[in-house]
Amino acid sequence: MSAAEKMSRRDEMETLLPFYLNGSLEGSELEAVEEWLASDPAALAALGEAEAEFSSATAANEAIRPPADAFSRFAKALDAEAGPVRRPASSSWLAQAWGRFMAVPAGVAWAAAAVLLALIIVQSLVNPGGKSGNFEIAGAQDDLAKMPFALVRFKPDAKMSDIAGFLGSNGLKIIDGPTADGVFRLGIPAATAADYAKQLGLIAAQPFTDTVIEGRKPVDGG
Amino acid sequence: MTAATETDRALVDRVAKGDRAAVRLLFMRHHARVYRFVARQTGSEMMADDIANEVFLELWRQAPGFEGRSEVSTWLLGIARFKALSLLRKRKENWIDDEAAAAVPDGADTPEVVTMKEDKAAALRRFVDALPEEHRTVIDLAYYHGQSVTEIGEVLGIPVATVKTRMFYARKKLGEALKAAGYDRGWP
Repeated sequence: MSAAEKMSRRDEMETLLPFYLNGSLEGSELEAVEEWLASDPAALAALGEAEAEFSSATAANEAIRPPADAFSRFAKALDAEAGPVRRPASSSWLAQAWGRFMAVPAGVAWAAAAVLLALIIVQSLVNPGGKSGNFEIAGAQDDLAKMPFALVRFKPDAKMSDIAGFLGSNGLKIIDGPTADGVFRLGIPAATAADYAKQLGLIAAQPFTDTVIEGRKPVDGG
Repeated sequence: MTAATETDRALVDRVAKGDRAAVRLLFMRHHARVYRFVARQTGSEMMADDIANEVFLELWRQAPGFEGRSEVSTWLLGIARFKALSLLRKRKENWIDDEAAAAVPDGADTPEVVTMKEDKAAALRRFVDALPEEHRTVIDLAYYHGQSVTEIGEVLGIPVATVKTRMFYARKKLGEALKAAGYDRGWP
């Protein structure tokens, strides 16, 4: 016979009192405690003792103060995380990801963009040339790998909406990044060296651009 | 299920979809309790700081696998417990047991003299702190964390009957300690 089975009724009630006090007791155990409290004069005194324990345990715990900077340190660590493995793609998967990208601070959003890109690349490796959910990703890796690019760093106070609008209206794509220094590899949709130079000039002229470094240029044919 | 619990679950759903703001909210809501739980488990606030942060990063990573079979708070405490045990094993530190608790320096006064100087509430708090870890943990989880018998079993990975047995002995030890200090409460 276990120790629990040897308990007297008083022992059982004393064991259940903490759970009665925290409101988690249910069913027959709750009824038994309530019946005991209503019928045994010693029960109310026992309840008072349990309440004193409740106060002591609470005070002992609350005397422990978490560091004031815990949240800021956690937020930094979180920003460095790639994120959970996503659930299967839904019809609005891309739109939702883009919506979140637009809604968060620039640094976080660019990290998210890198994650999004990585997911697309990984997906294309797992399922090369195929379809995933409702969007086709065939050739995405090859296209990006072959694309002319430049290395770009944006100003820390740049607005996400400005950058995203500029990239979208000029067909620019984030291929990789950011690095630890905040540098992105931007795909430049230029067919000729002249187009490429023009696009680089345009990027450099934007108020949110900090640095532009020439990368792979298109080779002019003919 | 309370409204707060539903909100916790809704936040975990958002975390599973990659919503970093949701995990920050859960951190703000639960961090202090997780931190205190680990600090009480390990006796080290430095370890509590590391582990509590890691618990919420784990939440970020594992949210898609959360099936909602337990409360979010129970799930977090379970992760914290596992990580605390793992770290303690790695560092080969020992739990504070009966002997260790008894060996804690108590100043120049004997326990009886110290207790005489305190009121009953202060004495009780000292006795709670001096309980063996396995008993103090069920006291903390029930009284401070508001966990049910079943939830404590989930956090600690032990059967419900064992939770009750530990609670019985924890309260019995507290009663005996109070009695020895001159505060007889009629049980045990």
